[in-house]
Amino acid sequence: MASPPMHGDFEAQRHWMEITAHLPPKEWYWHDLQWWGLDYPPLTAYHSWLLGKIGSVINPAWFELYKSRTLDDYNLKVYMRATVVFSEYFTYIPGVIIYVRESGKRSEMSKYDQAIALAAILLQPALMLIDHGHFQYNGVMLGFTLLALCSFLKDRLLWGSFFFVLSLSFKQMGLYYSPAIFAYLLGLCVFPRINILQLLLIGITVIATFTIIFAPLLLSGGVSQISQCLFRVFPFARGLWEDKVANFWCALNIAVKFREIFAPATLQRVSLLATLAAILPPCSILFLYPKKHLLPLGLSACAWGFFLFSFQVHEKSVLLPLMPATLLLAGGLDRDTISWVTWVNTVSMFSMWPLLKRDGLALQYTVMTAFWAWLMGGKYRFPTNPISKLIHVGTYAGIGILHVAELLVPKERLSRYPDIWVVGNVVLCFGAFALMYLWTMTRLWKERTRLTGKRKRE
Amino acid sequence: MNPSLFECAVAATAFKLLLIPAYKSTDFEVHRNWLAITHSLPVSEWYYEVYSSTHLNSILRNPITDSRFPFTVLENLRMDPRLPPFFAAFEWALSQFARFFDPEMLKVENLNYSSIQTVYFQRLSVIATELLLVYALHLYIRTTGDAVRRCAHAAALSILFSPGLLVIDHIHFQYNGFLYGILFLSLILAQNRRTLLPSGILFAALLCFKHIYLYLAPAYFVYLLRAYCMDDSIFDIKFWNLAKLGGSVIAVFAAAFGPFVYMGQMGQVVARMFPFSRGLCHAYWAPNVWAIYSFADRVLILIAPKLGLSVNTSALSSATRGLVGDTSFAVLPDITPRTTFFLTLFFQLLSLIKLFLHPTPPVFLSSLTLCAYASFLFSWHVHEKAILLILLPLSLLVLSSRRFLSAFRPLAVAGHVSLFPLLFTPAEFPIKTVYTLLWLLVFLVAFDMLAPAAEGRSWLLDRFAQLYCIVAVPLVVYTSAVHQWVWGAKWEFVPMMFVSSYSALGVVGSWVGFMYLYFVA
Repeated sequence: MASPPMHGDFEAQRHWMEITAHLPPKEWYWHDLQWWGLDYPPLTAYHSWLLGKIGSVINPAWFELYKSRTLDDYNLKVYMRATVVFSEYFTYIPGVIIYVRESGKRSEMSKYDQAIALAAILLQPALMLIDHGHFQYNGVMLGFTLLALCSFLKDRLLWGSFFFVLSLSFKQMGLYYSPAIFAYLLGLCVFPRINILQLLLIGITVIATFTIIFAPLLLSGGVSQISQCLFRVFPFARGLWEDKVANFWCALNIAVKFREIFAPATLQRVSLLATLAAILPPCSILFLYPKKHLLPLGLSACAWGFFLFSFQVHEKSVLLPLMPATLLLAGGLDRDTISWVTWVNTVSMFSMWPLLKRDGLALQYTVMTAFWAWLMGGKYRFPTNPISKLIHVGTYAGIGILHVAELLVPKERLSRYPDIWVVGNVVLCFGAFALMYLWTMTRLWKERTRLTGKRKRE
Repeated sequence: MNPSLFECAVAATAFKLLLIPAYKSTDFEVHRNWLAITHSLPVSEWYYEVYSSTHLNSILRNPITDSRFPFTVLENLRMDPRLPPFFAAFEWALSQFARFFDPEMLKVENLNYSSIQTVYFQRLSVIATELLLVYALHLYIRTTGDAVRRCAHAAALSILFSPGLLVIDHIHFQYNGFLYGILFLSLILAQNRRTLLPSGILFAALLCFKHIYLYLAPAYFVYLLRAYCMDDSIFDIKFWNLAKLGGSVIAVFAAAFGPFVYMGQMGQVVARMFPFSRGLCHAYWAPNVWAIYSFADRVLILIAPKLGLSVNTSALSSATRGLVGDTSFAVLPDITPRTTFFLTLFFQLLSLIKLFLHPTPPVFLSSLTLCAYASFLFSWHVHEKAILLILLPLSLLVLSSRRFLSAFRPLAVAGHVSLFPLLFTPAEFPIKTVYTLLWLLVFLVAFDMLAPAAEGRSWLLDRFAQLYCIVAVPLVVYTSAVHQWVWGAKWEFVPMMFVSSYSALGVVGSWVGFMYLYFVA
């Protein structure tokens, strides 16, 4: 991918490679927390350690302790970007390929259709731009979750749990999926008949995997390491949200400045309750009907619930509900699926536009989003239901208008409302995401009694 | 037809748009400079050296150098137009639009000016002008008979996605796309007896855009003479056609060069267009016969003492990089421009004889390609980019028979690999290798499935060709990564020498195969 300016996340990842490669594990979560302290679970730390070691062999100056901060070397950038590509190849891409094949077989999709679904999922602009443009390793976390899903598709529950724990230990954002996965596994152990043994085995697998992951930390520094790690990973001290993101609280805040009215503790409690209310429906359905074709829908709805109502949500977190939603393509290439998946991907890209613009990725944003939408498009762009069609057309029109307005309206006119485009973005995307949540729930409800997810190709 | 030309053009354009921020060579500044010159200066000063040493010094202060090509900058100091007048007019036309992007780029003093608007404008102009090539390919598919339409479609797609054009035009930065569009339009017109005159006119115009197409001119000359002016028999000369052809070609040249003849600048223009003071080989050896010759010379330097051959010691130091200036050889005899000219002419004449006797469109296309081969292999100071002159027209021929495909494969691999050294930055490495590899896989397999079976294929030669293609992979890996790792900065000319010699083998081998097929089949 091209090399736009990278600071923020790039320097953070580089710094973590620096400290893990040079310092003993017991200092990883304590070292100079003001300068990009490590705030992901241990698997990221091990991953950074490996990459730091390899990188130091190629050029020790890249990861020299203290001296290499804000290093902007061209070859370093190429190396780092290469690590993202390689990490993805080991986790995300195998996951997608296997998932499409398994799901495609179950839904009786032709090989040709499977290939189309595979290409569409792999070319998803959101993940590509965030991981390879903005610089992150979300592909690894999503990859592990995908591998877990593949295992579930093949009825290998223990392997599935193992992979999912790996995903959680890589990035705690994977927790967005955990209630759904938990409900699914529990459902499998309860219906059609109660299977305590399986439940126990799953529990043991989970605990064992966590133990293996945290073992190096535990051995090097004791329980305080674990608590510090958890403290870094779950920063409850931060507020309800940081930047403008398309979730419920941000959107509500435009009308009612409730951040100033209520105390942080109250807000946290309300947010928790709202999130629970949002994830309860999909999880209950997954629990009562633990069927394979419902998995992506359940995961997606659960993740939307978190995204819309939880706190400290970044706009990049939209990748989480987005991935299972895009996986629906592997369940059938009918008009409804294609149109809604295309729509939600396009809207998600738009929701990340302020971030991408700041990163200097405007060209890539435009080309990838337009190209992917064109690839998916044609007459499948809009669903058959007239109301849905209206929603889609309206949203696309809204996006177009906001973009054009942002380009054409001079800044001087907006001195009173400097953030108006971001606000417009947030409102539009929140509305769209809420609708997507409802659509996913509707699909979940309708599909719950079907045996397979086979859908008619149009 | 799936996928359609339009869909592929959209996908290709999306990819090229994403490549806008990629590496650009000094050619970018050269073209920007021409935009500025044609826009800001009167025509009488376009080809004149108006710059003093201060201009040269300021460029030297900010050169874009690569330690492997210390002399690339020196060559490009001559940033004033080196192409015929139609191209200058083309730059002038572009400059009218450039005004809206960034007027600063049109100021002659703004050397190495590359604001983001300049980059966008120049790259977008390459993409936009390439649409002419897309149109030509579209016409090509439409005008082929139904029986071979699938093959034509595949060939057209292979040209649209050509890695050569991608590397040269969209990354390294040049304007070859639309020029090949004009060439293909001319070739399409040449397929039909009734449109031979427009074909000739278009080709004459093309020559006035970039004179590298002179490599192909003999084929055009002979074909048009024989098919248009001496239609049925050699003795029945159609003087009216001859007059029309001659007159229109002269008119085209007059339109291009007339103003400069009038101003008495023809000497300058010609000197710019044909810089013979440069050496036999470019800074990086184009994969032709002289590359093999240089390589052999280099090997002989090492073993000459043992064989008792005399070594020209003064040549030892200068022959290290094939510089600007004359290349002298240490052991083998020196080559003069005259030698190269006669060799080129000889091999071109061989193919032209058959064309004269059988002036049909397929023979024309084949002899055109053979002329390009001969010029590429034997001419003076050939650029590696000229390989496209062989590759692209040959793509139109490949699917007529499986034996052609066998001759094409080594060329496809060698030609594209030889272009790799043009992009030496690490970030572009995955792009050029993965894209070329994908293209080779997709199209060589597709061609394999589409080409009609033929008799008389040599099993042995096929295996050699396969082996040759496979060796390309470790070679690229070695020259790009391993050599630097193992030897560091020592012997840094070795990887390029390997690539050049290896590619030259492929080109020569492919040429021999093709010559054989041309005369026998």
